[in-house]
Amino acid sequence: MSTTNAPAKPGRSLGRTLLQGGTVIALIALIAFFFAMRPDVFLSFTNVKNILFQVSILAIIASAQTVVMVVGDFDLSLGATSSLAGAVAAALMLGGVPMWTAISVAAGVGLLIGLANGFLIAYLRLSAFVATLATMTSVVGLAYLVTAGTTLFSLPEGFNNLGQGKFLNVPLPVYIAIVISLIIWGTLRFTTIGRSWHATGGNQEVARLSGVNVRRARLLAFTLAGLVSAIGGILLAARLGSASAVQGSDNMMFSVAAVFLGMTVIRSGMANLGGTMVGVTIIGVMSNGLNILGVNSYVQQVVTGLIIIAAVTLSSLKNRER
Amino acid sequence: MRKKFTGVVAIAAIAAIAAIGLTGCSTTASTDTASAKPFKVIAFTSGNQTPIGAWWVKAVTAEAATNGWELTMIQGDFDFTKMNPAVESAIGQGADAIFDGYTDVASIGSIVTAAKDAKIPIFAMDSATAVSDAFVTNITTNQQGIVDQTLGAISAKIGGLKGKNIMVIGHDPHPGIRMRAGLAKDALIKAGANIAGGDVQKVKSPATGRTEALALVADYLTAHPGGLDAVWVGWDDAALGALKGVTEAGSAAVVTGVDASSEAIAGIEAGGNFLATIDQPWPSILKMIDADLLAYQKDGTLPAKSFIAVDANLVDITNAATTTPSDKL
Repeated sequence: MSTTNAPAKPGRSLGRTLLQGGTVIALIALIAFFFAMRPDVFLSFTNVKNILFQVSILAIIASAQTVVMVVGDFDLSLGATSSLAGAVAAALMLGGVPMWTAISVAAGVGLLIGLANGFLIAYLRLSAFVATLATMTSVVGLAYLVTAGTTLFSLPEGFNNLGQGKFLNVPLPVYIAIVISLIIWGTLRFTTIGRSWHATGGNQEVARLSGVNVRRARLLAFTLAGLVSAIGGILLAARLGSASAVQGSDNMMFSVAAVFLGMTVIRSGMANLGGTMVGVTIIGVMSNGLNILGVNSYVQQVVTGLIIIAAVTLSSLKNRER
Repeated sequence: MRKKFTGVVAIAAIAAIAAIGLTGCSTTASTDTASAKPFKVIAFTSGNQTPIGAWWVKAVTAEAATNGWELTMIQGDFDFTKMNPAVESAIGQGADAIFDGYTDVASIGSIVTAAKDAKIPIFAMDSATAVSDAFVTNITTNQQGIVDQTLGAISAKIGGLKGKNIMVIGHDPHPGIRMRAGLAKDALIKAGANIAGGDVQKVKSPATGRTEALALVADYLTAHPGGLDAVWVGWDDAALGALKGVTEAGSAAVVTGVDASSEAIAGIEAGGNFLATIDQPWPSILKMIDADLLAYQKDGTLPAKSFIAVDANLVDITNAATTTPSDKL
């Protein structure tokens, strides 16, 4: 399975070209629109930095979701896992555990949740929807237990710096999001397991007959997703300087939306990391641009949903065309 | 063999005596129960996962034990499809009184109907922002007082409200926050302030209130550098997000919240942009309702007033150190 765009055939209709590049064109159109509305602000360094800062954690969690969706599944528990990981790290640090030990344990918790999801889905053959829904429910409960229903704060300054510090005046989470995305992109594109994930997502039976250990591939995909979403949650806690049981909950929905948006970017219509980053950017640009224009947040939510519907429709049209 | 048989008989005899004894105890207890006829209270809250809701569950359970009530405590986890039938089922089994904690009257229509049909009065705590015939009493905090005190603190700090740019952040699904955000907006307009963004900025979910408020303030200050004098927020968690947006932008705007959470009080004590919050006196309100329930238990006396709005207290740098945070009640 290849995720590379095929070169456009000569004589291709404008409609097809628009269909092919619709999501990227939508992103450019959004940027152009907001720039036209607020030329003094929208593309200023401060605001671009602002957008990148706001989407950095979503980008990490959407990367995790991409891995699972490449395999042909999805994970409803990623938002809850990220919240729990942030809460575990915070609780441990407040209990006197050294920062990096707390972060490692919290990341380990995310990895274990991902492993559990993978085991349920790949080996016990539960549907991803049921398994991750059930896991999400339990994980939210665990997060409430860890935080005792309160918000944990007064975290060590070194930890807060991970989420609030800057290098060359750009917030650290932006760099971390870029590094994680590049690692996942490289894994998906250049490694054996990455190719196994693509093969599994394309057709499990064909992948199995081709010698791919499908169950192990799915297990590893969920495990990696759990680990990466935990890193996102730990960063969110550092970003806010606090941790609560539900503070990353909206990232699950937006991560799925970003991956769906990204699926329209390439011709195969499959989940891919570059496309996911385009999706994340669309969500970030739209939220920031509408905030700058003073648009009511309820309207923003309606518009976000409509754009996702449009993107998925586009993706479906492309698939039909193929 | 004979020895073994004797042993078995002895054990059986001891067991029989013990059983008779226990039965006797049981009979005595049920006789006592029958004569005392315990006062049965159904208590429910949808907000048990919030710090104040969790405190309420513990406090009401302790009050019931002290008063000798037979308590059925139902915790709804914000899930009305789960909570309402559970309360209605408890009503079907009979009770003397119902106690609603922090659950909006708009969400419990079926419970109110079931209680009226069964002629069981509902005593409520912070369950509506105005008089409601659903409750024999509802004691809450004075929303106008909360707005007056927080805006007063802002006004004193920034030299009056006239001509100042102030953002108001609210959350519509919570009736108390919706009401006070609306009151704050009206008061600010009346005082000649400019409402940043033209209207109340609405946070969609309390779970992500902090990040939503942060983004609202950060984006507004990016578009209008130095464009805020203050941010009035309807609850502390979102106020802490707004505070981060303000400080990261290097703005001098002050922020106020409501709830007196530990983190908000720590923010005030830090002496930065977090100016004030509001301490709502939930323990004393609970005592008032406890007294109402005891009066009803004694001779069926119903509360004199169906709606009471109790004044709340401003928490600022002068009294932050001596205020008990709402999540540490």
